[in-house]
Amino acid sequence: MTDEFDVEVDADDLTPMTDGEVVLGDPSVVVDDLHVTYRILGTRRKAVEAAPQGRMRKLVGRSLGSTGGVTEIHAVRGVSFVARHGESIGIVGTNGSGKSTTLQALAGLIQPSQGSVYVAGIPSLLGVSAVLVRKLTGARNIMIGGLALGLTKDEVEERFDEIVEFADIGDFVHLPMTTYSAGMAARLRFAISTAAVPDVLMIDEALATGDAAFRERSRQRVDEIRRQAGTVFVVSHSLASIKAMCTRAIWIDKGLVRMDGPAEDVTAAYHEHTRARSGPAKG
Amino acid sequence: MTTDATNDATAGMTPAEIAERYGLHQMGVRPGLREYVRSLWTRRDFMLVLARSRAEAENQNTYLGRVWDILNPTLNAAVYVLIFGLLLKTRDGMTNVIGFIVVGTFMYKFFQDSVTGAARAIPRNLNLVRSLHFPRAVLPISSVLAELAMLLPALAVMAGFVLVSDRWMLHLDSTPNWRWLLIVPAVLLLFMFSTGAGFVLARLGARWPDVLNFLPFVLRIGMYASGVIFSIDHYLAGGGVLATIMNYQPVAVYLNLARQAMLDEPSAQLSGELWLVGLAWAVVTLVVGFVIFWRDEARYGRD
Repeated sequence: MTDEFDVEVDADDLTPMTDGEVVLGDPSVVVDDLHVTYRILGTRRKAVEAAPQGRMRKLVGRSLGSTGGVTEIHAVRGVSFVARHGESIGIVGTNGSGKSTTLQALAGLIQPSQGSVYVAGIPSLLGVSAVLVRKLTGARNIMIGGLALGLTKDEVEERFDEIVEFADIGDFVHLPMTTYSAGMAARLRFAISTAAVPDVLMIDEALATGDAAFRERSRQRVDEIRRQAGTVFVVSHSLASIKAMCTRAIWIDKGLVRMDGPAEDVTAAYHEHTRARSGPAKG
Repeated sequence: MTTDATNDATAGMTPAEIAERYGLHQMGVRPGLREYVRSLWTRRDFMLVLARSRAEAENQNTYLGRVWDILNPTLNAAVYVLIFGLLLKTRDGMTNVIGFIVVGTFMYKFFQDSVTGAARAIPRNLNLVRSLHFPRAVLPISSVLAELAMLLPALAVMAGFVLVSDRWMLHLDSTPNWRWLLIVPAVLLLFMFSTGAGFVLARLGARWPDVLNFLPFVLRIGMYASGVIFSIDHYLAGGGVLATIMNYQPVAVYLNLARQAMLDEPSAQLSGELWLVGLAWAVVTLVVGFVIFWRDEARYGRD
C-alpha cells in the first residue's frame, strides 16, 4: 500500500486508467542530454563571510551584501528520454530536483545551456502560477491565452462558453483575476490550455489546487488528449495522481534521470526512497 | 510497453535523427528571421488585444478611469507651460509659446512612455512569457501600441490647446487648417521610431534590469536635448556641429515635424528634407531594433 504517503486522499477517488485503448505512436518529444543553468541576480552564495568589525564596516558590508552578485544554479544536468504520441508521463522527484525546469525547457520557455529538445507541434505548459495577466478579467485572459496559443479570435469566441463551463467559474469570468481563488485560476488556465487540443501538454502541479470533481474532469481531459495522439506530462507530488493519470513515470533526482519506466514501478521505487530518507520517525 | 515497433525502428538512431525523421522541431532555439516575422504577423490579433487590455487597465483603479488618458498629458503640459513659458520666459524664438510647449510635451510624453513601457515589457509579462509560447516581440510592440491608443484622445486635447491659443491669444485666423493632417504621418513616424527604440530597450531591460532604473535619467536629459520646451534654433543660433546634431537627432526631428503640422513657428517651417530625415530614422531604427530584439529571442524569461 504505497498510497499512504500522499497528503491528499482525493486522488483515490479518481477512476482507474483506461489502459490499452491508446496505441503508442511515433516519438513526439526527444530530449537529448539537457542541461539548464539559471542566473540569479543580486545574491551571493556567501553573503556574510567573516563578520566585519566596527559599526561602519558592518553597515557597508550589509548594504553591499546583495550588490553585483550573480549566482549560477545548475538545475538540470543531463536529462535524456524519448516520449511518444498517446503517452502520459508522470515526473516525480523531491523539491528542487529540476522537474519544473525540465518541463519549462521542454516547452521552449527557457533555453537549454547544453543539449537539445525536439518537440512535435506547439507545446503548452500549465505552470504553478496559473494567472496570465492578473489585472484583467477572466474573459480577457481567455482571449489572451487562446490567441497566444495560436487560435484566431473567432475560434476563441467559439470555444468561450465551453472554456467557462469547464472551468466552472460562472460570473467570475467578468471579474479581474485578482479576485480568483487559487483553484479557480488553475481551473481556468487548464480550460484555456486544453481548449485547442495541444500536441504536447505539460501540467506542473497545476491540478494540486483543484477539488476532487475538477481533478476527475481534468483526468478525463488528459485521457481525451492522449486518445487524440497528444502527449501529456504531469509533475505532481501526489503519487496517486501520477498512477491514475500516467502510463509511464520518470524520476528526476538532482537534475538527472534516476529511473524511467511504468508509472507503477517508478512511483513504488520513489516512494520507497522517500520513506527511507524521512527516517524511522515516519515509518 | 517499451518494446514495440517504434522502439525497434529508432534503435541506433541519434536523437537528432529521430527528430528529423518524425518531423519534430527543436525547442529553445531562435527561429529564423523570416519565420519570426511570419509568426509575428499571425499573432497580430494577439498584439491588438494585449494593447487594448493594457490601455484599459492603465487607470482601472481610479475613479476617473480613462479620463486620465486626457487629464494626465494636459496637466503635464500645463506644468511646463506655467514654469517655462510664463515664469522662466524661455519663449524667445517662439510665436505661440503655449502651442509650442504643448505639442512638444505631448509628443515627448508619448515617446517617453513608449520606450519605458517597452523596456519593462518582458519583466512585466513574465507570467505570460513563462507559460506560453509566442514570438516575444509581441510584448514590446503591444506596449507601444497601447501608448498610441492613449495618445489618440490626447491629440484632440493638443489640437484644442493650439486652437485656443492661436485664435484667442494671437488672433490667427489661419487656425485650424489642412496642414494639421500632417500630424498623422508625424505620429506614425514617431510610433515607428519608438517601437524600434523600444525593441532595443526591451532586450536590455530583460537582460539587465538595472537599465530600468537608469532610463528615467536618460529620458530627462533627452527631453532638454530635444527642444521640448524651448527652441533649439534660438539657443544654438550660431549653427555649427552641435546645432546640426541637436536638430537632426531623431526625437528633435519628430517634435519639429509635429510642430510643422500644428503650428506656424519660425523654427518649424514645412521642410521636405526634414520629413525624409524622419522617415529614414524611423525605418532604420525599426529594422535594426527588431533584429537586435530577435537575436535574443530564445533567452527571454530565462531568469
